[in-house]
Amino acid sequence: MANIALDRTIKLKAAAKKRSRKLNSDPIGYALILPFYLFLAVFVLFPIAYNLYLSFTNYNLSEIKWVGWSNYAALLHDQFFFISMKNTLVYTAVTLTVTVGLGLIFAVLLNYRLYGTKWIRLSFFSPHVTSMVAVSMIWMWIYEPSHGIANSLLEALGIAGKQWLYDAKWALSAVIFTSVWKALGYNIVIYVAGLQSIPRHLYEAAAVDGAGGLRQFFHITIPQIKPITFFLIVTGLIHNFNVFEQIMIMTDGGPLHSTTTLVHQIYIRAFQQFQIGYAASLSMVMLLAIGLITAANFRFGGRGSTNA
Amino acid sequence: MPKKPFIIPVSLAMLGLSVAMLLPFFLMILTSLKTMDEIFAPRFVWVPERLDWANYAEALQRGDWGTYVSNTLYVTIVTILVSLLINSFAGYAFAKLNFKGRDILFLLSLIGLMIPPQVTMIPVFLVLKHIPLAGGNDLWGQGGLGWIDSYNGLIAPYVAGSFGVFLFRQFFLQIPQELDDAAKLDGMGRVRAFFHLYVPLSKPVFATLVALKATASWNEYTWPLVITNSDEMKTVQLALSMFRDENQVQWDLLMASTTMLVIPLLILFAFTQKYFIEGIVASGVKG
Repeated sequence: MANIALDRTIKLKAAAKKRSRKLNSDPIGYALILPFYLFLAVFVLFPIAYNLYLSFTNYNLSEIKWVGWSNYAALLHDQFFFISMKNTLVYTAVTLTVTVGLGLIFAVLLNYRLYGTKWIRLSFFSPHVTSMVAVSMIWMWIYEPSHGIANSLLEALGIAGKQWLYDAKWALSAVIFTSVWKALGYNIVIYVAGLQSIPRHLYEAAAVDGAGGLRQFFHITIPQIKPITFFLIVTGLIHNFNVFEQIMIMTDGGPLHSTTTLVHQIYIRAFQQFQIGYAASLSMVMLLAIGLITAANFRFGGRGSTNA
Repeated sequence: MPKKPFIIPVSLAMLGLSVAMLLPFFLMILTSLKTMDEIFAPRFVWVPERLDWANYAEALQRGDWGTYVSNTLYVTIVTILVSLLINSFAGYAFAKLNFKGRDILFLLSLIGLMIPPQVTMIPVFLVLKHIPLAGGNDLWGQGGLGWIDSYNGLIAPYVAGSFGVFLFRQFFLQIPQELDDAAKLDGMGRVRAFFHLYVPLSKPVFATLVALKATASWNEYTWPLVITNSDEMKTVQLALSMFRDENQVQWDLLMASTTMLVIPLLILFAFTQKYFIEGIVASGVKG
């Protein structure tokens, strides 16, 4: 009997709790997120799982065959995979270092309320708004070996022109230079916004203590701006790791594979050679890298921003 | 605060650099107005002797630019309309409504922010190929081409837009609870409150997302390259990337068509800078 009574009270309590939650609950929320989630599920979430499955198959768009780990095994003997990995890493490291470094320096200068700040910001940011196709076209003309401006200027200075995009020694550097030109303005804009949120009194106190501009930069600006730097590095890592458009247009990975990158390899394998399964295993390598970067972001990123 | 003594030299240096940053654009425009003789002259010609506007007319005749532009505009407009609608719905629900699993669902949706589309282009291509009852497919998505080489194929992968949801949620979270209480007192339901109170308040977010999505859509290259194969489906960037001739590049025409695709966007940007910058900053600093 006692048991039944207890049971009843528990049930009643649970019902009351349910009712009160229902009062504050908006089931219409499910309906409002449904359209978004439908697209997310079909075009983002499911494809990740689908890609994993594809990476264990051989698929040429007509016949699909389960092959286990053999795509991954083949990856380890694929010289183009290693070349593209090396190119991607070099590209990412150089582009990221230069854009983040120069971005901070220029942002600090712009933050001094220079003359023409608006114009300067507009011109630095313009390449960011321009499409990568247009940027590639313009720079291919700049790099044109016999009539382009790059070599014309060098020759005016008495330096022999280079073959730029047609020379395996120079092609990757030329592409990197273009990417830096395009991405620099974005980093500056983010840094300027971050600099404006640093409390002024920190600098005033430092000035009273006799710290000069350079010391203020290293002891106040750099530590205060750390979360922004971290954000730029994390998003920049992912963004640059996926470099493709300028490669496809300016060099198509050449000459002699000196500019082929991971996404370029994925594109070629999947959509030119129809080795879908193998390309999917390359994509898994990319996903793994992005997962690691994101995990590092969660591990160290939170700490960085709470310190700020 | 008085200006420091180094402001003038630093300003001059930065102004000089900003002109250098714009140099590629100047070259683009100047080259688009040169004759091929001037382009291939032994000494580099900076400013053409006579402005050769005919390059623009000729560039427009190389290819069906009317189709490319209208394709791109159609894709851009539909993507913006659909994604802003469903993103604002979802952002509102995640910010203001209570339902079970809300926070988990929101966190899961952030995967869309982290995974770059290049990494999933193969499975997304195959999903589009197997859309049931489209492009000659049967109910099981077999037999035809699905949404490959179609407007839907160009649009569908860009509709979800986790970034838009993220931005709307951030904005709605700042709106005080009192607004909802007032709406409730007036007998407004959640959905009516959204349309009558939240949408008018969030005009800046809409403007920012329109600016960012319009630019992204107009500038998109990789996905049209993957999903289209006919000339009728080409977008402007894809068409521009294929403009080059096999043997000798017609730089005058190439730069004329590049100018036509770049300048409108730069002018638009100059006037709507605020929304661009706000969107960029919102994604970076506040995110």
